[in-house]
Amino acid sequence: MTLSIYGQALSSRLLIGSALYPSPEMMQQAILASGAQVVTLSLKRQNPLAQSGDKIWRYIQASVAQNQGFLLPNTAGCKTAQEAITLAKMSRELFQTNWIKLEVIGDDYNLQPDPIELLIATEQLLADGFKVLPYCTDDLVICQRLYALGCQVIMPWASPIGTGKGLMNPYNLASIRQRLPDATLILDAGIGKPSDACIAMEMGFDGVLLNSAIALADNPVLMAKAFARAINAGESAYIAGTMPERQTAHASTPTLDTPFWHQREHQ
Amino acid sequence: MKIYINGYATELPHTAEPINIEMVLAKALPKGQLEQSFALALNGEFVGREDYPNTAVNGRDRIDLLFPIVGG
Repeated sequence: MTLSIYGQALSSRLLIGSALYPSPEMMQQAILASGAQVVTLSLKRQNPLAQSGDKIWRYIQASVAQNQGFLLPNTAGCKTAQEAITLAKMSRELFQTNWIKLEVIGDDYNLQPDPIELLIATEQLLADGFKVLPYCTDDLVICQRLYALGCQVIMPWASPIGTGKGLMNPYNLASIRQRLPDATLILDAGIGKPSDACIAMEMGFDGVLLNSAIALADNPVLMAKAFARAINAGESAYIAGTMPERQTAHASTPTLDTPFWHQREHQ
Repeated sequence: MKIYINGYATELPHTAEPINIEMVLAKALPKGQLEQSFALALNGEFVGREDYPNTAVNGRDRIDLLFPIVGG
């Protein structure tokens, strides 16, 4: 099965970030090991004389090319719709893509997206031809509004960025999946363990975007492989259909003719 | 004329003709930087490369030059 991002078919349902790795070489190895075809990156002010960005940029380009993938620039650090729109336009020119992971942060403490500014920026960027992948909270109504605006892909958080807390509110996420059956849903941010990603896929999410859980692992390359397998397992489980949960025990071994059948004698 | 590039004040010599972004970059940036990958905003608004020669820069304008960096 393939993941579709605005009509672009991808063989991997894992989208990976390029930050926080111990070294550029490790970043490249982890991206390759993950099999991810979508790699996020950003634009920032930096000292042009240092030219450190050039080296990273080359590594990211090489990694994406080897996985036959695509760049997904983000608008990290933006706090208003106008900032995010400007940064999106700069990214489009530099990275030659109209995909944008739209982030508009509303709170410095937990880096929670600002839903109001997000909707304003989304509407304007869609009108300007962007393929918007909005990063949002797990609020059903916000997701519905984003979908109504024309976002084919919606990316609610599992929990705040970089916390590794996993799926903070599975009920909300399940509701979004249920109410937006035709949207491409990608769980983004807060993933800590491969089992978190697996649970999201079992719930019917279409993909998972993560960074810290791989980059901050003791062995990022091995963790990248672990996430790829977990996502495949979760996807298979969703397709296979999980059994209904039951309140009471049901013996799996047939009880008829069991050798030592204990039945209370009637008085 | 003083402008700000990435937050740093930069003094540009007075010229008879109006200054545009292309001229600013040629004068204010170190040699070799123009070849680097970057995108530009003037006073918070994106300006495409094709518009550098015909976009005027005035005193106290803010130019942001952004470069690729890792991101999540």
